[in-house]
Amino acid sequence: MSGDRMFDDPMPDDPMEVPRATNGRAPDVFREGGWVPMREHSENEAVDFAIVGTGAGGGTLACKLAEAGFSVVAFDAGPYWRPLEDFASDETEQRKLFWTEDRLCDGDDPLKLGDNNSGRSVGGSTVHYAMVSLRFRPEWFQSRSKLGYGADWPIDWREMWRYYQEVERTLQISGPLSYPWGPKRPRYPRRPHELNAAALVLAKGAEALGIDWAPTPIATLSSPHGKAPPCVYRGFCTSGCSTNAKQSVLNTWLPRALAAGAEIRDLAMVGRIETDRAGLVTGVHYHRDGQWRFQRARNVVVAGYAIETPRLLLNSATDRFPDGLANSSGLVGSNLMVQLNQAVWGSMAEEVRSYKAPPSLALTEHWNYADDGKDFFGGYCYMSQGPLPIVWARTLAGSRGLWGEALMRQMERYNHQVGLKMVGECLPQERNRVTLADETDRYGLPVARVTYSYCDNDKRMMRHALGFMGQALEAAGATDLWEERDDTCHLNGTARMGSDPATSVVDADCRSWDIPNLWICDGSVFPTVGGVNPSLTIQAIACRTADRIQALAGRGAL
Amino acid sequence: MDDMTRGAASVPARLDQRPTRPARGAAWAVAGLAALSAGAALALRRRARPQRRLEGPPPVTLRVAKDLNRSAALLGLAALADSAVEHYRGSFHNPAMVTPLAVSTAVIGVSLFGTLDDRPRAHAVRDAAYGGAILTGAVGTGFHLFNVTKRPGGLSWLNLFYGAPIGAPSAVALAGLLGFFAERVRHTRPGEAPAKAPKVLGVPAADALAALVSLGILGTVAETALLHFRGAFHDPAMYLPMVVPPVGAALLAGTVLSGNGRPAMASTRAARWGLRATAALGFVGVGFHAFGVHRNMGGWRNWSQNILNGPPLPAPPSYTALALAGLATLSLEEDRRHAR
Ligand SMILES: Cc1cc2nc3c(=O)[nH]c(=O)nc-3n(C[C@H](O)[C@H](O)[C@H](O)COP(=O)(O)OP(=O)(O)OC[C@H]3O[C@@H](n4cnc5c(N)ncnc54)[C@H](O)[C@@H]3O)c2cc1C
Ligand code: SF4
Repeated sequence: MSGDRMFDDPMPDDPMEVPRATNGRAPDVFREGGWVPMREHSENEAVDFAIVGTGAGGGTLACKLAEAGFSVVAFDAGPYWRPLEDFASDETEQRKLFWTEDRLCDGDDPLKLGDNNSGRSVGGSTVHYAMVSLRFRPEWFQSRSKLGYGADWPIDWREMWRYYQEVERTLQISGPLSYPWGPKRPRYPRRPHELNAAALVLAKGAEALGIDWAPTPIATLSSPHGKAPPCVYRGFCTSGCSTNAKQSVLNTWLPRALAAGAEIRDLAMVGRIETDRAGLVTGVHYHRDGQWRFQRARNVVVAGYAIETPRLLLNSATDRFPDGLANSSGLVGSNLMVQLNQAVWGSMAEEVRSYKAPPSLALTEHWNYADDGKDFFGGYCYMSQGPLPIVWARTLAGSRGLWGEALMRQMERYNHQVGLKMVGECLPQERNRVTLADETDRYGLPVARVTYSYCDNDKRMMRHALGFMGQALEAAGATDLWEERDDTCHLNGTARMGSDPATSVVDADCRSWDIPNLWICDGSVFPTVGGVNPSLTIQAIACRTADRIQALAGRGAL
Repeated sequence: MDDMTRGAASVPARLDQRPTRPARGAAWAVAGLAALSAGAALALRRRARPQRRLEGPPPVTLRVAKDLNRSAALLGLAALADSAVEHYRGSFHNPAMVTPLAVSTAVIGVSLFGTLDDRPRAHAVRDAAYGGAILTGAVGTGFHLFNVTKRPGGLSWLNLFYGAPIGAPSAVALAGLLGFFAERVRHTRPGEAPAKAPKVLGVPAADALAALVSLGILGTVAETALLHFRGAFHDPAMYLPMVVPPVGAALLAGTVLSGNGRPAMASTRAARWGLRATAALGFVGVGFHAFGVHRNMGGWRNWSQNILNGPPLPAPPSYTALALAGLATLSLEEDRRHAR
């Protein structure tokens, strides 16, 4: 520990036990032991916005609203890390980044929740995300009217294109000079990274099958930026990046939010949103430092990701809103969408060491943009892979069923493994949903029950992708192929946006139809997920929401 | 915190290549070669000493030739250091990767010899070394092109950024060419007075040199542009080499090649300042690159990795070397004008 301190530490600094953002200061993520000043707000005075969750949706919105001059307090149940001092190169230690609270999973295809789909940190899941930063295919914003499936978004893709650019600039995305798919996009702020051997395998396979591939647009620096160094290619990204090369919400939007006067409360679990007799929200009850507290607010934004967001809305039910807040449509919690994350793995004669460098340095979006030759709706992309050893051992044991001697022999081949993994579009289904279970958590709050079943379309896409990725891997020279069929990633839906209060929870501005000062701004608002990773779109939506809130405030319509 | 302590990237990637035993061997071989060639330079010089000295002040051609030797030595040094670092990072996986190290070491050796040699004669050893460098540069460019095009994606931006640098071998060739010119400018036939306007392959040496140096500078600018573009011009100083050396090169070419045969004091002075600025930029650039190394994870504390990952320290002095050759060219040009 070093660096200037604005105050002496009264107690040992364990960010998982004692909140760090207190006494007018917050951790400086760029310095070991460092602090930056933070404006504090009184609990008794209503702030303009109380935001629940500081991830891709909440963190981005907190920054933009604070910069627009609103008073903002953002809550996160997770700790406030300083990556330089808190992140170990140890997969087990880094499990501290995941949301591993109790949840019940059922349905025909129960989800595996935890590391691969949710985070609990200031900065949200972006603290350990894989940084793949893709734009939606324009038609997906109208997949119902243009492509015949899913639901339309109430937002035009051209508008989104502008906000994508804003996010790409903020995150200094490094990407190819020309992107093979979709309408022309502005040049990425940073040049692509050098490909690792795993990415070259994807490239070879794609070239052999005659489809386009590209270096992945990715949120880790390929050259220094501000206080962050460029990526060192050691591949710990999904266990948290200890160099700050990764451009997460934690080290991009949130430092800006603090500078603009936002307050962030870490280790602060929001348990309930309070409403008054007029049917408006008045603030949030949250648990911090061993006690329940209340923050008054003129507006509340829920941004806890697609499981915690509906859980909080449902847990905030009152006599007036017996089915939970914002739920007159009955859709809060339903239309949960994961993304298909199946993979084909194989072995190369030469060493690949796929775990070096960020895991997904090359991709193809071919099947997102090609509509012919498909027996399913929607699209998928696939990317090169680089699992760390424990994740890999778990995959071999869990998905391939290896144990004992056989598992050891395969682990010895670790340096030769290669894989291609899809991110595929699941269709929205009302039966896939988040509800409340009878069980309660350590705060006494009912936990989420997550019900999931694939539909036939999902299964057809899975078969198509596994077949195609297998061919590509074989064409690149891999042998000993096998399919990992049971993985999913990302969580979206459960509070979809739309243009009709009867069939959606929020409008295009992320404002709930039922309660005008309650907003939802995270992955939950997606009506469809598309075949790309969601974080860029979530952040773009948050930027748009901030602009809309400013416009509404400007004409007194808040 | 030890994200930096273990090397990086993938197998074909340059970043992950840890020095192997042959790599260390090669490093020793190069050190040995350097010592040898320095020794040879001294020995040759001793043999040169008893020769009859010229009467009066040394002719301009000799001074210019020595200046060119000096430029060749500096450019050779930049090429040596650069290829040593880069090929070390590539673990010398192809034995041919030692060649540029050996050749540029030889160029440095014979060039130092040239700077100490007062005789107005070309020397066979120097010519051999310079010729070897030109050849190595040409073959190396071929190798690097092949390396780039055989990667998936072929001749793409990605491969231009991260494949073998196409422009790098030409630094060795340029050093050889400067040396070759030094020999031609220096050489007078026995019994003849030094030429007032020496020629190289039938072309006035000043013209040929001005063309060579300007093109050399522009080629180097092109390579810098590619690499600074790869770095997204993240520091505004990265634009300096896009501006200063091209101006220097244009002023030099304009002054020497304008061909109206009239002494143009003003344009010569401007060219001189342009080239001085270019030479200075080569020094300043090393400082900027040192700062760039510091901006990598762990900074200079982690020097053993960041010197490899960061901006190449030996690259900017190429501008100094070329600018010095440009200044020598201006002296030759002035001499030619006086003669008219
Ligand atoms: C391993 C992994 C890899 C990924 N890779 C990629 C990728 O490469 N590209 C991509 O685009 N996406 C990726 N994602 C997905 C991406 O990270 C998420 O989609 C995105 O972060 C979701 O944003 P969000 O704002 O909805 O939620 P989050 O970012 O998850 O933020 C929610 C925050 O809210 C907090 N919270 C929840 N409930 C409460 C409460 N009641 N009170 C207080 N705080 C609360 C949580 O602690 C959390 O910090 C990845 C995710 C994971 C887990
Ligand atoms: S590989 Fe790059 S982005 Fe990933 S953890 Fe290491 S430095 Fe961070």
